Amino acid sequence: MKFDLSYTIDALPRLLEGATVTVQVALLAFAFSITLGTIIVLTRTTLNWRILNGIIAIYISFIRGTPLMIQIFLVYYVLPVTGLNLGAFTSGILAITLNSAAFVSEILRGGLTSVPKGQFEAAKSLGVSGFALWGRVILPQTFIASIPPLVNEFTQVLKATALLSIITVVELLRVSQQIYSSNYHPVEILSGAFIIYFLLCFFVSRGSVMLENHWRVRRA
Amino acid sequence: MTLDFSIFVEYGPHLLMGFWLTIKIVIAAIILGMPWGLVLALGRRSRFLIPRLAATSFVEIFRNTPFIIQVFLFYYVLPFYGIRFPAEYVGTLALAAFGSAYFAEIIRGGIDAVSKGQLESARAIGMSDWQAMKNIVLPQTLSIILPPLTNQTLSLIKESAILSTITVHELTMSGMRVQGEIFRPFEVFIMVALLYWGLNETIAILMRKLEKWSKKGRTSNQDSAETLKKGDVVR
Repeated sequence: MKFDLSYTIDALPRLLEGATVTVQVALLAFAFSITLGTIIVLTRTTLNWRILNGIIAIYISFIRGTPLMIQIFLVYYVLPVTGLNLGAFTSGILAITLNSAAFVSEILRGGLTSVPKGQFEAAKSLGVSGFALWGRVILPQTFIASIPPLVNEFTQVLKATALLSIITVVELLRVSQQIYSSNYHPVEILSGAFIIYFLLCFFVSRGSVMLENHWRVRRA
Repeated sequence: MTLDFSIFVEYGPHLLMGFWLTIKIVIAAIILGMPWGLVLALGRRSRFLIPRLAATSFVEIFRNTPFIIQVFLFYYVLPFYGIRFPAEYVGTLALAAFGSAYFAEIIRGGIDAVSKGQLESARAIGMSDWQAMKNIVLPQTLSIILPPLTNQTLSLIKESAILSTITVHELTMSGMRVQGEIFRPFEVFIMVALLYWGLNETIAILMRKLEKWSKKGRTSNQDSAETLKKGDVVR
């Protein structure tokens, strides 16, 4: 057999359509996971309840210790049993969000330690507290310090979306499976999808440097 | 929904068989991937353009694409060129290739962390490039890269679940089979998750102990860097 590029080129429009779904899923899941991750970090540092901290620690350890595929199965197969029918797309996003939030909260926790203690003290001495302290002073600095690992985490999310093809979310990988199951040219089609994934992740990870320069913290 | 964990008396052995295959595949992938990762790391640092370019593109390609599509490509491309292996071997090969890209980056980072003076002084007393690498730099690299290597091993255990998509009968696949027979997704997948979790935690704890033990009675790299800086000030 010979590698026939014309199959790849023919499939390209549909592959690109799948790629837009992949990007959508990744952006949605990442936005949710940033939100959830921030909430986790805030409850950990401001409330500091022992029981809650214990639950969060177990959650993070579970997410980091088990394969994403199993987590996706748990969300996709177990929620309907409890009467909650979400469909593949939503449960896929939920699974990736729950997974990524654990990593994001660890990243933000690291970023938080890089904020100098003087920032808290200065804000307090100026009478800034509560929402203004976190929303205006601490969190912006935390996020800026965490840009490189957060961008890295976004590429992880982008790659993780490929796993949703198993639970029938029609994203890039699923689309290519649909195409090659009708024309029997898996190598050509998968190579096309492979290159699209590579370009997406490669440019996202290179974009990290640009973001860093744009949001550089100017500190006296 | 009532939980019924008694099914594991009947299906437990089946899951444990899958678990054992997962462990075997990961060990084989590490044995194959680690030396190849070292080759890639040295390739990326090479003076010559072609090995550097080849190693860099291998690493970047495997790091910037989802593992699942790499697995599919291995599964379909090898027969395309007339090479036929059982799915377990293809899966192990894919896992080794994927892991080696990350191992390469870890090893490269470790080599860079060893101070440049070490290599230069080794060259100055007449060692060849390779001798200096083998006797001076790589041994020091080892203690630096132990923690990230552990993390990567844990990540390989997790990624091996994806091999179930190409019909490798490892832990996740056994879980799916059992679930297909008894339709109790929660019990089955929680059991599978606990097995993965337990394995990962055990390895993490053991490696932390090993790290502590390997640091005993030896100044770490940072310490020697500190003394060097202080020495500079005195001079």
